[in-house]
Amino acid sequence: MYKYDSVDKTIVKERVAQFRDQVTRHLNGELSAADLQPLRLRNGLYMQIHAHMLRVSIPYGLINSAQMRTLAHIARKYDKGYGHFTTRQNIQYNWPELADVPDILDELADVEMHAIQTSGNCIRNISSDQYAGVANDEIVDPRPYCEIIRQWSTLHPEFYWLPRKFKFAVTGATEDRAAVQFHDIGLEVVKNDADEIGFKVYVGGGLGRTPVIGKVIKEFLPREDILSYCDAMLRVYNIHGRRDNKYKARIKILVNSMGIDAYREEVEAEWEFQKDGDLKLHDADFDAMTAFFPQPNYEELASGDDRIAKWRSLDSRFKNWYDNNTVEHKQAGYRIVNISLKEHAIAPGDITDEQMDSVADIAEQYSFGEIRSTHEQNLVLADVREQDLLEVWKALDAQRLATANIGSVNDMICCPGLDFCSLANASSISIAKQINEKFADFEELYDIGEVKLKMSGCMNACGHHHVGHIGILGVDKKGVEWYQLTVGGDASNNAELGSRLGPAIAKDKVGDAVSDILHVYREQRDNDERLLDTFRRIGVEPFKERVYAEAK
Amino acid sequence: MAIEKTIANRSKKVRPKATPSRIQNDIESSQAIVDGSIVDNDVMHIAETEALTADSLPNTQVSVPLNLWLEEQDAIVARDGKVAVQIAVDEHPEDIVESLSAVDMIVLPFVNHVDGQAYSHAYKLRTRFGFKGEIRAVGDVKFDQLGFLTRVGCNAFELPDTENLQTALRAFNEFSEVYQPSGDHGRSIFSRRRSVH
Repeated sequence: MYKYDSVDKTIVKERVAQFRDQVTRHLNGELSAADLQPLRLRNGLYMQIHAHMLRVSIPYGLINSAQMRTLAHIARKYDKGYGHFTTRQNIQYNWPELADVPDILDELADVEMHAIQTSGNCIRNISSDQYAGVANDEIVDPRPYCEIIRQWSTLHPEFYWLPRKFKFAVTGATEDRAAVQFHDIGLEVVKNDADEIGFKVYVGGGLGRTPVIGKVIKEFLPREDILSYCDAMLRVYNIHGRRDNKYKARIKILVNSMGIDAYREEVEAEWEFQKDGDLKLHDADFDAMTAFFPQPNYEELASGDDRIAKWRSLDSRFKNWYDNNTVEHKQAGYRIVNISLKEHAIAPGDITDEQMDSVADIAEQYSFGEIRSTHEQNLVLADVREQDLLEVWKALDAQRLATANIGSVNDMICCPGLDFCSLANASSISIAKQINEKFADFEELYDIGEVKLKMSGCMNACGHHHVGHIGILGVDKKGVEWYQLTVGGDASNNAELGSRLGPAIAKDKVGDAVSDILHVYREQRDNDERLLDTFRRIGVEPFKERVYAEAK
Repeated sequence: MAIEKTIANRSKKVRPKATPSRIQNDIESSQAIVDGSIVDNDVMHIAETEALTADSLPNTQVSVPLNLWLEEQDAIVARDGKVAVQIAVDEHPEDIVESLSAVDMIVLPFVNHVDGQAYSHAYKLRTRFGFKGEIRAVGDVKFDQLGFLTRVGCNAFELPDTENLQTALRAFNEFSEVYQPSGDHGRSIFSRRRSVH
């Protein structure tokens, strides 16, 4: 993975010193709470219902064992012994003290981590495919490009006070696991007919109050132009984006109101001024960056392992875990292991300090000391030898990290909701528990198969409900929590927004409604159709009829 | 829609006066930071009104709204002192390019520092339009904005008189490295690393 050089180290350390000075001035009464607010946000520090919340950046979801141990240490020393992985592959802590935060950031800097731009109206953490570099369907490894964009966008002086937050996602695979069409800028690394690497560029996608699928601004942008082109896109947005209404301030609103062609014209005109300037990248830059992401030192192994095959036939728990939580690897004899952070009765994405330490150890022993976080709020060990899977499973299981539910209805994306977040209208975590209880029978869960259930506690859509195969949105009606359901959303290549099922549902009936939707699916599915496929074939009506028939 | 209005602003005939994005009252701080030093300030920044003319300006050093400059350039150049012109966040540096050589100082008034459009103004003035004069940020500008304002090309700052300027000087030394080029003519980290190897 990327190693900081002296420039990166200096910037991150100086950033900590700057924030320490800001906090000191605030505590001395020289910097008002109002003036501190946008500064602390740009260092990942929110003020939530109960306490401050610190969001630590995990660039494109990649961390090593030493960093994971630091995250565990921070949870132990400064928080209540746990952290929460987010849908932007970051981790957040719910209980730090303001005065401790500079020390926390200092400890992070020691392991080449930071919380820069994890909040605020600026360019946020770059997210990517959690299987980057190991996926079977990968065309180009996106990580070197993510790192290049990370550096360019970090403390960018001109794009630090944008109209609204700004999110990038990058994928290099055939199957889009990074939801690039739902980002302010989405980049697909591609190759043209001449085998040159470039990007298909999407702009103006996003969820939130106004969900929009990104539009293609450039079918093929040569890779050397990526920074100058992004610079031009950001400048046009910084100048023309609306600032009079924060709900109209995202780039998706600008692109929709101008039209993609007019926006493109402005961007291209802006780009002309600088496309051959200092931001133009050279092959040497890509070579240097690519060298940070070498193929690990894989052993020459045959596919399949007799002992593992035998254990799969003997132990149904191991078999279920293998079938659901591990994925084919591009290298023979290796598999990708997903670590589920969706154990029953635990808030989705939460992990304890002890579990973090164990994951660090397991990664060190079995997966080249690297871990990935996913936008679905799980972790990944990307390079596990097939022959080690039994030991890895046992080690994870001992830490309650082997719940065999990846991709199932219990593997839901869920925002912190009313339990922690000051924006939320409704609780999400309690609904997650309710649904988990409905599907306690894992055989039933496996029979249902792949369901992306995504839940947000308010219309800001941190839980990506619009693109859930089943989406759940918490709303407040006269002080009572209600839940709006959608069906048929899809964050992958065939990007779709979910269809609204009908009126909002009472809190204690959400689990029943999900259950009804899945009953309809099981009655109506053809062969190996997923819920999403069945929905696409039969439409929303049969689901609607069942859910609301019972409500009557 | 807002965007059509903004782009249409480039035609000076329909440029609206006294929008909420522009300073509502004349402002003047008693001191300023210019090129890293604290100096006494004598520039009064005149707010735009429908009735404003070059004749009605006070007989002291002022900065004038862009509209007034575009309408009464000759009268403003004929005054004593520096020619100082404001470009508000909802105006565009493109409008002043033709007359830029007659201007000594561009003033970027901040009504609210979280509105970052003026950062792009400064960037364009320094890089694209080659402006060598003073670029001065005024209004809601404090310690914690000075670093990035400097990077995009501002070299002078008026903070509200309630701010401690001596403390604010620290802002210029917070970072010794940067990742990207901007109005300060820095180079991208990639081109710098390339020349090392």
